[in-house]
Amino acid sequence: VRSLQLLDAASASVIGFDWLRAAIAPVSPYGERRFAELRPFFAGEELDAQARAERIILLASALGADRIETLRFELSELPDATNAIARASMGDVLTDPSLLELRRFCMAVDERVGNDAVRTLRETLDTGQRDADGFYLDDAFDADLSDVRAQFRAAQAEFETARGREVERAARALGRDDLGDEFIVMRADVRGALPSGVRVVREAATYFLCALEYGEAALAALERRDAAAERIAGSEERVRARLSAIVRRSGEGLTQAAHALGNFDVMLAAARFALRHECVPAIVAAESVLEFESARFLPLETELIAAGRTFTPLDIVLNDAAVLTGPNMGGKSVCLLTCGFVALCVSFGLPVPAASARIALFDRIAWLGMGREAHVGGLLSSFAQEVLALKEILAQPAPRLLILVDEFARTTTPHEGKALVVALLGRLRELRACGMVATHLEGVAEAACVRHFAVRGLRGIPAPPPTDDIGAALKTLGASMDYRVGEVSGVETSRADAIALTALLGLDRQFVDAAYSALSQ
Amino acid sequence: MRVGVEILNRARALHARVIFIVGTGRNVGKTTTMRAIYRAACDEARTVALAAVGAAAKPRMWLQAGTIFSTTRALLPASPAAHLLRISPLQSSAGSVLYALVVCDGLYELSGPPTASGAREVLEELEARSEIAIVDGAVDRVAALAGSPGAIVVAGGAAEAPTFDEALAEITALTARLRVPVFDPSLPAIQLDGALTAGAAAEFIARCESRQIVVRDPTQIALNGRAASQALERLKIRCRRPLHVIAATVASIGPERQFEPRRFGEAVAAGTQLPTFDIYRGAQAA
Repeated sequence: VRSLQLLDAASASVIGFDWLRAAIAPVSPYGERRFAELRPFFAGEELDAQARAERIILLASALGADRIETLRFELSELPDATNAIARASMGDVLTDPSLLELRRFCMAVDERVGNDAVRTLRETLDTGQRDADGFYLDDAFDADLSDVRAQFRAAQAEFETARGREVERAARALGRDDLGDEFIVMRADVRGALPSGVRVVREAATYFLCALEYGEAALAALERRDAAAERIAGSEERVRARLSAIVRRSGEGLTQAAHALGNFDVMLAAARFALRHECVPAIVAAESVLEFESARFLPLETELIAAGRTFTPLDIVLNDAAVLTGPNMGGKSVCLLTCGFVALCVSFGLPVPAASARIALFDRIAWLGMGREAHVGGLLSSFAQEVLALKEILAQPAPRLLILVDEFARTTTPHEGKALVVALLGRLRELRACGMVATHLEGVAEAACVRHFAVRGLRGIPAPPPTDDIGAALKTLGASMDYRVGEVSGVETSRADAIALTALLGLDRQFVDAAYSALSQ
Repeated sequence: MRVGVEILNRARALHARVIFIVGTGRNVGKTTTMRAIYRAACDEARTVALAAVGAAAKPRMWLQAGTIFSTTRALLPASPAAHLLRISPLQSSAGSVLYALVVCDGLYELSGPPTASGAREVLEELEARSEIAIVDGAVDRVAALAGSPGAIVVAGGAAEAPTFDEALAEITALTARLRVPVFDPSLPAIQLDGALTAGAAAEFIARCESRQIVVRDPTQIALNGRAASQALERLKIRCRRPLHVIAATVASIGPERQFEPRRFGEAVAAGTQLPTFDIYRGAQAA
């Protein structure tokens, strides 16, 4: 999957592009190749993007979760036959393992996305096969094969009889049950000379290391057997050449089928994603809009579920730049991430994790805020890094920009910070960008004349847990916090709840009281 | 005496369906031992499977029709064509591992995966497809048999040690190591997660450790030769998953040196306390 100019690396990392890529990854080498070529849809391709998402949902409901898992397992077990197709197209004679790969490929493809080339090759490769999964250059491929193999078997039997007689005779003479290729005869055990045909390879004080020479009859049989083996090799190679020529002639159809199988794998992975995360196809809008009900940021939801908690779905209607405020730990950043993630899904023609959605194909989805800074403690301060990142985002023209800004200018004075955020909102309005700017600064929405969303916040001040356990603190907070986001109007009231949260997170009573005291002054 | 038949009977008594042949080194008669057991199994008309696991082992053998074997893509001969049963996702330096059935007698090279987990897969695959599987394997891959009734034959010989005494010490130590008994849960024990190294063993000896020192399986005792013999003698080394060594075979002739066959066989039999067969002499050491 290539994000092309849709996302820069930092935004991709924060918004969950890698998570999404892993969640929709196919399992077969055919799928992996198609997956590598996936690109986002852009403005003008709304119908295609929507149609893809709808096809995914159709596939998901037609197959169901169990069938999808079974098919994915089968696809994951498929060998990659594309090398064999390519080599045959260049005139190579294929080996038996390659022919086995092709047979298994044809079987898998024929049931799903087969074409005439696949069917012809499948029928050819099925000739004389005894099991579904294997391959043998069976006698049925060529009458000559059967003849030369019969000759070989006869010659081998003749050789074994002749050689067996020689070995038996020598063994009996030496008082042994059996003789290997090389064997030791103890001098003490030899009465008189060694039996005829027994050659001494090495002599020692107490023993001889010996080998048994081939007698005339065995040698003649061996010669006949080797000649038959050569004839088999010739016949087998001729059959392989003939099969390879069929593969060569069917190359185009087989390649098309490999592509189709890859697409199927990719769609199957997307269908699994849609089922697993209860996704729906969004209406892909032609105008710049981001509107959803009950949307979820899946990377976080997955983590929360693993921790026994739940994600509070979010509703947003956004068609311009707006401000988002709310308490610390109230989910402002998660709201921004949800906007970015849902837009990302739509861009790749995927169903979205929401109850419903109407979303544009954005030319760029940009993240500006925590998680973007390259590093702390370098030559540039975090403020400087943030400003340079903004400069970079604004410098790249994007007619349809979705920008998600998390506490811009948080490291400067509140006075100047507010001025910078208001200026940023003004610029976004000029650019007709769709954006959400999360901030703790007061009065920004009013000053910039933009819409104002807020996280509902704490339902009351939760009491700190008795033990100093961060997991318990987060659970208490989760129960007290209303993470829903709604549009607010009028003059906003200041509620960061930061001091209450420091108490909840375990800072000592004296510290917390001092903070309240300072606040009241 | 047919050595192959003798070994096969001992494996049968153990209800073993896998016979794993390990050696003290190269040219100590592993492939010759394998051939002997293979021929005996074929004579009994049993479905036989053959494999070689570990990076170095690639024995070339004349296989009869009906034999199942594992090899790798690059080592599969073009002719005679074999019936390919499955291409495994396991990889070796010679390409994918594959399983095949011999249809036409011929020379085939056995090969397999270099990894321990790969060795386990090969054993499972061959066990499922045959009545008896014979494996030429590196000592560190024999862990695949741990805890199962699979049988082990230890091959030792003149090729890998400069003197008679050292060759004897090698095979005796290897056998003792592989035959480490299962631990007694009612007695005090030190459970090791990883291997018992020479350093750790020396430390245990220095502090006169009397508790059982328990490793996962005998391949986790990373000691050879005299160091292994010393550690096994002075410490109570035990394992959680034991192995079953059923016999030793000796090859008293190496490319560079040779030992008196009868004396070497008898010394190995006395040192290992195992039925010991001279594969070249076709005899059991007294």
